[in-house]
Amino acid sequence: MTITEALRITQSVPRDARPFPVTLACGFTPLHLQTFLAAHLQLALPDRKVTIAPGVYGDLAGTLEAIGETAQVDAVVVAMEWPDLDPRLDYRNAGSWGLSAANDIVASARVMLDRIATALSRIPAGPRTALSLPTLALPPLFHTPGWQASQAELLLRSDVLRFAAEVAQQGRIAVINSQTLDTDSHAAARHDLKSDLYNGLPYSIEHADHVAAQLAMTVAPPPPKKGIISDLDDTLWSGIAGEVGPEAVTWDLSSHAQLHGIYQKLLSSLAESGTLIGVASKNDPAVVTKAFERKDLLLRPDQVFPIEVHWNAKSGSVARILEAWNISADSVIFVDDSPMELAEVAAAHPGIECVLFPRNDYAAALKMFQQLRDRCGKERVSKDDALRLESIRRGAAFREQVSTVATPESFLKDIGAVITFDFAVPGEPRVVELVNKTNQFNLNGQRYTQPDWQKLVTQPGAVLAAVSYEDKFGPLGTIAAAAGHIEGRKLTLDVWVMSCRAFARRIEHQTLKMLLGTTRAAEIEFRFAPTAKNSPLREFVTTLTGEEPKGEFRLTRSQFEAKCPALYHEVREMRRAEAHG
Amino acid sequence: MDDTRQRLTNCFQVVFPDLPQEALATASTATVAAWDSIAAITLMNVIEEEFGFQMDLDDLADLDSFEKVYSYLQKRLQVA
Repeated sequence: MTITEALRITQSVPRDARPFPVTLACGFTPLHLQTFLAAHLQLALPDRKVTIAPGVYGDLAGTLEAIGETAQVDAVVVAMEWPDLDPRLDYRNAGSWGLSAANDIVASARVMLDRIATALSRIPAGPRTALSLPTLALPPLFHTPGWQASQAELLLRSDVLRFAAEVAQQGRIAVINSQTLDTDSHAAARHDLKSDLYNGLPYSIEHADHVAAQLAMTVAPPPPKKGIISDLDDTLWSGIAGEVGPEAVTWDLSSHAQLHGIYQKLLSSLAESGTLIGVASKNDPAVVTKAFERKDLLLRPDQVFPIEVHWNAKSGSVARILEAWNISADSVIFVDDSPMELAEVAAAHPGIECVLFPRNDYAAALKMFQQLRDRCGKERVSKDDALRLESIRRGAAFREQVSTVATPESFLKDIGAVITFDFAVPGEPRVVELVNKTNQFNLNGQRYTQPDWQKLVTQPGAVLAAVSYEDKFGPLGTIAAAAGHIEGRKLTLDVWVMSCRAFARRIEHQTLKMLLGTTRAAEIEFRFAPTAKNSPLREFVTTLTGEEPKGEFRLTRSQFEAKCPALYHEVREMRRAEAHG
Repeated sequence: MDDTRQRLTNCFQVVFPDLPQEALATASTATVAAWDSIAAITLMNVIEEEFGFQMDLDDLADLDSFEKVYSYLQKRLQVA
């Protein structure tokens, strides 16, 4: 990005867009870093007006301490450099270099790191905080030649890493990955000494852009992809199973097929973090079944569902997998070694991300592995992530049983459904995550940053319910959430989402019944807005009100009770006392 | 308006979006409140991107009006 492009991006925002105020804490003149950060954040948050307020020059710790007291921002971005730890590490400073200085710098840097860690820990919950560690080379003040690290340098670096590990462990501060920055921004091209001495900005323009881009991604990360659909032959393993036999396909080092083994390990790791893994292969089903019985597979068969194996077009397989997962194509990556298959799937499923498996190009394979991790990686893994694939598998069994019994009533009566309402979960990340990634049963499609969410759930009269479900087919985890506020006898719902995995169980009815009962509301006002994807919610509302909603609408208690079908769930409540105190 | 003046006008509009078009030709550090030291560096970098050459930070102090920047550019472009 050029500075001109960055300025144009920041100037193109509608003046009435909701503000997204950010504090940029850095000890140097932020200049282009500020411009690029505003632009990258603006691209990530197109419906917001990003404004950046820089901190005090030369006083990173002081800036952070001041935030701790005020915190009227949506994000805090901390760009730390060596001079923030000791002014003698600043080329602009006249302090002496030398043996005694080096040792003293290490000691004073430790004190400053402690001060910064304390300041960071005092930033109130709410603003998203991103931290970049020093990105520039240390000045040549140490006694060793440049190719050898002095003990003082090593101590400085280890202290900074220990500090970063400690602040990251608190869970509220995201530390940018220097490994990615090293890939994007060449070390020798980072420092602009003239700009440093003349303007106080030590970064070259390109480096400022790279640091800003990564900080912005950390503040406002793109939503992770939900699933990967993979081919088998020459992708999940090396060889054509139908030709060489299922026992002869390989993915190991001695067969020079380790790329496929790495791919399997990566898929397995992503599956453990909740990424759905499915298979679309033109193959003989019996052969594939045999191959999946092999004990040396690095991707466990139970981590894969569905497995679509036949000789028909892969676009059809992808369609059925998307239906089983109940997610849209733009949430999915399709991996295949055949450009033709990729093109066929891409044409049939606009929005799907198609990735070529580069079976003979090791450099490209390395990039692909990182690409898959980047697209599917998530900041934290919840227990619901581990449940996701299993609950989809059970959902398939659920739908199969529903279709075989005489009436849904007899089926729903006998499945032992238990719904748990948790009314005090404002800080639970799973709830915001659920709200931000649910499309179909979603009241209005509104996405929330952590600070916005905090404002919503701490407003006067706030009501927040997280809903978990299980039945004889197993637990689905936290599958629904509703948030709003009660005023008199009117409950206003700003948020209501339910995972598509939980459809057809009358959980939505039980949720309304519980909300009306808990809040004693006579009516609910729904802050509804139609979206391209929320037709399931519209259809549900139509069954209660008799007309499809076009905008915000109200539902009275008597309207609901007249239309609510029989509910067979066992209902449990958690932490009600804290919820409306 | 010649090409250099037009391109320079575009640069000024990017850096000072609130400045009316008619005020650009007479713009200077004395008349434009937003033209501080930070804006001066940004303007220099935007001009570098537009014209494809590097400017010297030492020249920055003298380039305190639209007309001076325009004259500077004409000289640089003649040399090139």
